Amino acid sequence: MITVERLTKRYGPFTAVDDISFEVKPGLVTGFLGPNGAGKTTAMRVMVGLTPATSGTATVLGQPYVALPNPGRHVGVLLDASAQHAGRTGREVLALGAALMGIDKSRVTEMLDVVGLTDKEAGRKVRNYSLGMRQRLGIAHALLGDPEVMILDEPANGLDPAGIRWMRDLLRGFASEGGTVLLSSHLLNEIERVADELIVIGNGAIVAHGTKDELLAGAGTIVRSTDDDALMGALAEGSFVSRRTATGGLQVEAEPLEVGRVAAARGIVLTELRGGDTRGLEEMFLELTSGSAREEVAA
Amino acid sequence: MTTPTTQTTQTNPAAPAAAHPNVSAKAESALPTVAKMPSRLPGERPTTGIPFARLTRVELRKQLDTRAGRWLIIAIGLVIATALAINFFTNGGEHSFEDYLSATMLPTAIILPVIGILAVTSEWSQRTGLVTFALEPRRTRVAMAKLVSALLIGIAAFVLAFALAALVHQAAITFRGIEGDWSVGGLVVLGAGLYVLLGLMQGVAFGALFRNTPAAIVVYFVLPTVWGILGGLISWLDTPSMWLDMNRTMQPLFSGSMSGEQWGQLGTSVAVWIVVPLVVGILLLRRAEVK
Repeated sequence: MITVERLTKRYGPFTAVDDISFEVKPGLVTGFLGPNGAGKTTAMRVMVGLTPATSGTATVLGQPYVALPNPGRHVGVLLDASAQHAGRTGREVLALGAALMGIDKSRVTEMLDVVGLTDKEAGRKVRNYSLGMRQRLGIAHALLGDPEVMILDEPANGLDPAGIRWMRDLLRGFASEGGTVLLSSHLLNEIERVADELIVIGNGAIVAHGTKDELLAGAGTIVRSTDDDALMGALAEGSFVSRRTATGGLQVEAEPLEVGRVAAARGIVLTELRGGDTRGLEEMFLELTSGSAREEVAA
Repeated sequence: MTTPTTQTTQTNPAAPAAAHPNVSAKAESALPTVAKMPSRLPGERPTTGIPFARLTRVELRKQLDTRAGRWLIIAIGLVIATALAINFFTNGGEHSFEDYLSATMLPTAIILPVIGILAVTSEWSQRTGLVTFALEPRRTRVAMAKLVSALLIGIAAFVLAFALAALVHQAAITFRGIEGDWSVGGLVVLGAGLYVLLGLMQGVAFGALFRNTPAAIVVYFVLPTVWGILGGLISWLDTPSMWLDMNRTMQPLFSGSMSGEQWGQLGTSVAVWIVVPLVVGILLLRRAEVK
């Protein structure tokens, strides 16, 4: 369980996180979405006490993160897989974590096995790791303390397709055992497949929050034609609400069958006609964040 | 909560790459095709924090398990060995125990503070702070653990340097037939110990102040030297430097007698160069954003 209430983080005149409130529930995977610089990472860093909030609160398991006793045993955190001492071996990184949390060394070997790092690789220095290997080491580290809550920033970054699938299985399994998962990602298809709940953030503020089904339900039908203006007019006459999408084409609050009928009646040539659910998340994401997308900022 | 099912992986992640002719044997391992859920740790989740002794032990290990840490220790060892060898082989080995002692203490006290500096700055330069402060968000405790572990290294180094000096002095008596001179003042031993330990504390303090390795190291080494030179050159700085130049306030310890005023001067310089930077450094470290 993670509760964020009216959280704001400002850097001088720049507002990185703007008065956000949400709850991340146990037993579910919650996806945290937003364009680069939207404030995802800053918000996650505030949740684990690495960045002080300007105002508002964030609690994990009912307390501020900094008040958790031995937090590694309650919360698994992976914010940046590259944030490891380049001169330590992967095994040493995990051994230090296990020693600090007060758990047996055998757990280190088990976690290396869980993420598929071989003995030889575990003995190599982190500087020689690929991004994917660092990411796996970071996941192993997050799992080390057998946490109830996982806070993961872009965990699929650098993983190959098999690894991404592995991550999905792992997080689903973790949530089905009652764990709480908050993960950010820019891989929309990934989030769409793994997340139960979605929080979309743009320009530091929450632009959408709800279950995946709720958020994608409004997607309706996506249609493209040789003459979108005429089609829009025809749809309006049939009292179907439609609007232009950020990626071109129209989004219609109707079933594809109905849209097809209207187009056929007017002889409008369709180039694409599909239910909005197949690429709904991407459409939704681009629409919700089109006004707030900005260049990547240091946050 | 249900018991997790531990699934066996269909492929062995260690081996498959080498078997296929088109895949280089050097290819790195992959994640298992089926996610294996980690097992549950037995027992209740802890409701008490991380004991300070454990925190200190881990910090101690972190200061020694990197190449930088190891090489600093090796460098100190080499310099000590050279200094002892010079004493042993020049002038027929005819040097007092105090001479041998200063040969081992000087390099120790000069190089060791870098370990104190790195103990703090590496959390930022190597970005390990992201993990360290997520596992123990009570940052003052982490800073204190770093300080205590650095002091433990200092005490160990001091004992070792003392023992080595004694060993080589005894060797000079036995093998070179010199007349041993074991006389050593209590203040000198205290001075040597303080020299090593205060240096380490100052290192931790400067590390916390700057949280940047090059800045902390440069300021640590350059500032006292510049201050010492200025104090010697500019006449009106002479009095303040008697109270604020640690090289000068430490001096009476090694000559074996300290007046009340000299203790006051030592205390003042320690407050200005060590206590204040340490307190300010820890306050900054508590607030600093860990990136």
